[in-house]
Amino acid sequence: MSEATVFNINPGSPEPIYRQLMEQLRRRVASGQLAAGDEIPSVRELALALAVNPMTVSKAFSLLEAEGLLERRRGLSMVVAAQHRKARSQAERAALLRPALVQAAEAARQLEVEAKDAVDLFRKILQGETR
Amino acid sequence: MNISALNPSAVQGLSLASSQLEPAASVQLSSLQLAYGGKPVLDRLDWQLLPGQVVGLLGRNGVGKTTLLESLLGLREIEDGRIDLFGQPLAQMDDAMRARIGFVPQQSQLFGWLTPRQLLAYFKSFYPKWNQAKVDGLMSRWEIPADQLISKLSGGQQQRLSIVRALAPEPDLLVLDEPVSSLDPIGRRDFLRELVEQVLDRGTTVVFSTHILSDLERVAFNVAFMARGKISLQAPLSDLMDSGRRITGLVSRVDAHVRAHGLQVLSRRALDGGQVAVLATGEHGLMPEGLVSDSLNLEDLFAELTQ
Repeated sequence: MSEATVFNINPGSPEPIYRQLMEQLRRRVASGQLAAGDEIPSVRELALALAVNPMTVSKAFSLLEAEGLLERRRGLSMVVAAQHRKARSQAERAALLRPALVQAAEAARQLEVEAKDAVDLFRKILQGETR
Repeated sequence: MNISALNPSAVQGLSLASSQLEPAASVQLSSLQLAYGGKPVLDRLDWQLLPGQVVGLLGRNGVGKTTLLESLLGLREIEDGRIDLFGQPLAQMDDAMRARIGFVPQQSQLFGWLTPRQLLAYFKSFYPKWNQAKVDGLMSRWEIPADQLISKLSGGQQQRLSIVRALAPEPDLLVLDEPVSSLDPIGRRDFLRELVEQVLDRGTTVVFSTHILSDLERVAFNVAFMARGKISLQAPLSDLMDSGRRITGLVSRVDAHVRAHGLQVLSRRALDGGQVAVLATGEHGLMPEGLVSDSLNLEDLFAELTQ
């Protein structure tokens, strides 16, 4: 699970690349795909694999370290912190969706889309319809 | 976001105060002046690139990006102002300083009557350092025919060769003017990786202009916007995206909101019907009724900041 290839970034989004990386790591830990002690790719590996500025990657790692999600081991490698022993509860995982939904809600209000229509659309997207 | 970073005079003061401790700026431009046919292209332009920074230079077509990049390398004569590279006046450029600079021009000005092998051997003789292993690796990875006349190479191959030539002497400062315009997406990605490796291994200072914003977003940690003969803003891109919002609404309401939250206005655009669109950074708080706030991607920032 430590391959750099499982990460991807989406330039052109209003979400800065460092936050895209943070979000992906949080999700992997929350879902249990990454567990306590698992090593994550180095700044070098990830910067080269994604062709992004190394400072962008280290910014994401440092903030996740400050958040307590990652720990720095001796040397340079970072691992998932010890308290993340197993996948988090359904409710905790759902809470991670909140920022994305707040953004979507803001867009819906600006577009004056009715709440019911917005929720219907979200349900369809969840069920795999992409347009 | 650290607003003082956006204020040129604050940045200036900081660099003066710390000049004893920090290594010299890779590039320091003060009050550059250059006009074509009476029209100023560089208008008392100030700019600074610190060691190890990777800066994307953005601006509309014809705003003078190429003129700026060529001027800072001494390839164009400026009318007034001062250029220092690595803490040394450009006017005193010597071979040692020249060897620390790599340049990929917009139009490759390579020698069409030579082969890539001959061209690289020729340039090698001018440099104290020359990473032949890197040259060989890139030539084969980028499939540049070493023994064919350069004039017979495709635009993309010529551009790649120009990049190889610029990277070979392991420069401390890389100046790239639209370096990937002739490359396909795979070629571009491979070039970006090479750039990232330079930054990782050597802490190279990089400045590059490109219209391919997705490339710039990946590789540039800092972005500099050029407009009306000046660098109108330089800041970490992630800071701009984190704290910049476009606020649209009636002039009086937008202004009241900006004042109430002490926001810093970076650009302002009048719209029809007494409305205005303002790009502002700071702690925005809740948007009052009647105002619309948008997060901005790099393309939006480009549109707002290069007017």
